[in-house]
Amino acid sequence: MSLTTSRTDWRAGIERRLTRTREFVDDADPEALAVVIASMGSLLTAFVGFLLASPWTAVPLGAFLIATGYGWVRHQALVARAVTFAMTTVTLVTLGLIVVFIFAESIPAFRYEAASVFGVSVPGLGMFAQTRWDAVSDPVRYSLLPMIHGTVMVTAIATLVAGPLGVAAALFIAEIAPPRVRELVKPGIEILAGIPSIVYGFIGFTVINPWASDAFALNGGSTYLFVGMVVGLMALPTVVSVAEDALTSVPDVMKNGSLALGATDWQSMTSITLPAAFSGVSAAVLLGVGRAIGETMAATVMLAGIPRISDPLVNVFYGYETLTSLIARGYGSANGVHESALFAAGVVLFVTVLCLSLGSQYIEARMRRRLGGAE
Amino acid sequence: MSRATQTALVRDDRTTYEAAAGAAVGLSGVAFVVGLAALVGAVEIGDPVAGVELSVALGAVLLALGLAVVGFGVASRLGFVDAAPQPSAGVVAAVAFTAIWFAAGVTAAGAAGIGTVGRLGVGTVLGGGAFAVTALPREDVGSTVPAGAVAVLCGLALVTGVVGPGWERALAGYNATLFGDTVVPAVVLFASLATGWSAAKAYGGFGARGRNVGAYVLIYLVVGSILAVLVGLVAFVTAKGLPGLLNGVGVGGETLVRWPFLTNGAGLLADVAGVFPALVGTVWLVIGAVLFAVPTGVGAAVFLSEYAEQGRFTGAVEVATNGLWSTPSIVFGLFGAAFLIPRFGNQKSLIAGMLTLGFMLLPLVLITSREAILAVPDEYRDASAALGVSKWQTIRSVVLPAAIPGVTTGVILGVGRIAGETAPILLTMGGGVLPAKSAAPNVLSGFRLSASPPFVSNPALLEATSALPYQLYALITAGLSGNIRNPQEYAWGLALTLLLVVLAFYAVGIATRYYFRRKLHQ
Repeated sequence: MSLTTSRTDWRAGIERRLTRTREFVDDADPEALAVVIASMGSLLTAFVGFLLASPWTAVPLGAFLIATGYGWVRHQALVARAVTFAMTTVTLVTLGLIVVFIFAESIPAFRYEAASVFGVSVPGLGMFAQTRWDAVSDPVRYSLLPMIHGTVMVTAIATLVAGPLGVAAALFIAEIAPPRVRELVKPGIEILAGIPSIVYGFIGFTVINPWASDAFALNGGSTYLFVGMVVGLMALPTVVSVAEDALTSVPDVMKNGSLALGATDWQSMTSITLPAAFSGVSAAVLLGVGRAIGETMAATVMLAGIPRISDPLVNVFYGYETLTSLIARGYGSANGVHESALFAAGVVLFVTVLCLSLGSQYIEARMRRRLGGAE
Repeated sequence: MSRATQTALVRDDRTTYEAAAGAAVGLSGVAFVVGLAALVGAVEIGDPVAGVELSVALGAVLLALGLAVVGFGVASRLGFVDAAPQPSAGVVAAVAFTAIWFAAGVTAAGAAGIGTVGRLGVGTVLGGGAFAVTALPREDVGSTVPAGAVAVLCGLALVTGVVGPGWERALAGYNATLFGDTVVPAVVLFASLATGWSAAKAYGGFGARGRNVGAYVLIYLVVGSILAVLVGLVAFVTAKGLPGLLNGVGVGGETLVRWPFLTNGAGLLADVAGVFPALVGTVWLVIGAVLFAVPTGVGAAVFLSEYAEQGRFTGAVEVATNGLWSTPSIVFGLFGAAFLIPRFGNQKSLIAGMLTLGFMLLPLVLITSREAILAVPDEYRDASAALGVSKWQTIRSVVLPAAIPGVTTGVILGVGRIAGETAPILLTMGGGVLPAKSAAPNVLSGFRLSASPPFVSNPALLEATSALPYQLYALITAGLSGNIRNPQEYAWGLALTLLLVVLAFYAVGIATRYYFRRKLHQ
């Protein structure tokens, strides 16, 4: 029943769109339409030519520029609409290209690391079923587990730093700070986001690592503990700004109601604002986790670069390798299956962070609906 | 609320108590700062203070603070002061103190040489005890006694010299050793946090008001430390980098201003090694990324907010944009390496770096432009439409001008972010560790026309080029050494240059926002 209605809906939708397109085509000036079609057609051709790495790409690109330029003078409204539409598709196309190219490059590594389960060969399983990564000496294996362990260690410590501090700072900016102080603290935290990660890494490499080596009598100064703390500091601004947005989006009437009942500021925060903005705040922490997972340069510079799992597992005083630092360190000197394995690490990173992003977007959308009163 | 009838509106007998609690908060703050100074090595825990070692003095302070905090709680419980405690300190405090005392028990038992099972046993007993003490009695006892006891324990350990200068303990299997130099400051920091919070609660007279004060003390501390870290970082890099950056700066001579660090390459012939090629590389990189991302992002934002109907397409674009925004920079680098490099001469090149950073900048521009366009009031559009102006004319002459402040701010802040990115250009643009001045890209005069496809070429765009963040990374991986006089000073100067470039973008972006906001509110 519901299936048939949805199908008829779908058909009606297409029909409606067709009619609308036909009307639009009938209304539009035929010359303008021709120009737009020429412009968009040559843009598409140029894109296909670029994909095929054809040296002739410049020809359709030139045609696009000429057609668009002519159309801009004669039929600006329609051309502007078509061009902005083409620009809108760029984000979708980019995301699609990232997926296609990274996955395509990682296929040889997944093939190489196939392992059989119950007689069925599963490509890529070998990356997660054993712990040896050695691209040079026999047996050459590409397990990602050591790097995943490193990423988990760094991300866990970073989240412990960025989560509570970030939420506290967001509460301060959104609820506690007097206006003048807020105008000082907010840009400050924005600037913290601007400090380049390689500068953090440089300070870590020249100051923190030697200090840690000395203060804890380590073999070398690389530790997940301090890399995690530095990465947490880098993820902090993301948590603060997203959480602050969530907190300020709680309607003032809710807080005022609580204050009018005689509750203290802190009571209103913990029992009204935070629960109402809970999903937004957790989305902020999720995004912060995503930033921490993807943070590259500080980890690359501060870690030792040995693909090994620390023993015991939770030993924060070792610092071996993360997924990101593996790629940054290894790319360039790697080739063949080794390079492909680096792309496989990229696939793991990309999929993880994309899932976190989708999760936080879902949570935020739900919160917006709820605060809007629809649920 | 039933308590309201029992409590006097004016509590006049609490001034001494409040003063004592306030003093305890202040003393905790002092202990915290001294602990921090000891941790970073500004003072030594073996330094003599009033005839005793610093660690013993700190221990005595912690002991006094712990006893005072317990005293505040007991005084309130026995009714000597008129506070408004609630029946229990609450689950959050109970869980926190359980965890703290569990950890303390495990550590102490480990120090006494008890086995794993015994350690967990001791930890569980102490943790359970702390839970009972925190959760079961009235709030004034529950939130002071466990905190005060922690401070007393820590203070005793420091005063008796169980932990102090010269103390060390190897962590078996962890490949690390704990020394008094780090453990004593850590203990002081931790215990002073506990007493500070507890004393702040006592200062507020427990209850809702006490919790308010206690929470505010912690939050102000957090925000203060974040800002301190920020200021400290910038000041540290500045102090370390200025000698390198200002090396050989002078006024007069052949040119008006001589600034060799910014105008020289790093060749053997240069008297002062400089970062000119990397600086020019970064400038071109930013220009290229902006040329690609800003028109695309703004155009997409216009289409999404003015033309498109809210539906599946706009939803998909939004999800894709947010997905791109959170994609790790190294993944963009991999993408550029796999997609762009084979299409631009099969080697790392400036244009591959530009486009990779452009792809990174695109979602930032799109998100901020869209917000700015949506913030333009609908009245503007309606008024324009009522005058009979076409939709595109409205967008061009009403919506876009009104949205320009937001778009500009977003673009500048986004550029600041990508100017410091290293990972993507590491994989796509490369460049030398210490490029000579001749390695600086010369894009403008590099364009060549030819009769065979691809008709237009520019060798400067197709060459591996250095940029500030990449050069810093390359220097670090080269072990901060090279064919220049003082590689350390050079690297710090480079780091400061990079930081200044990025912070300049942020300063301009934030200033633009203020300027337009003030203009708007006039």
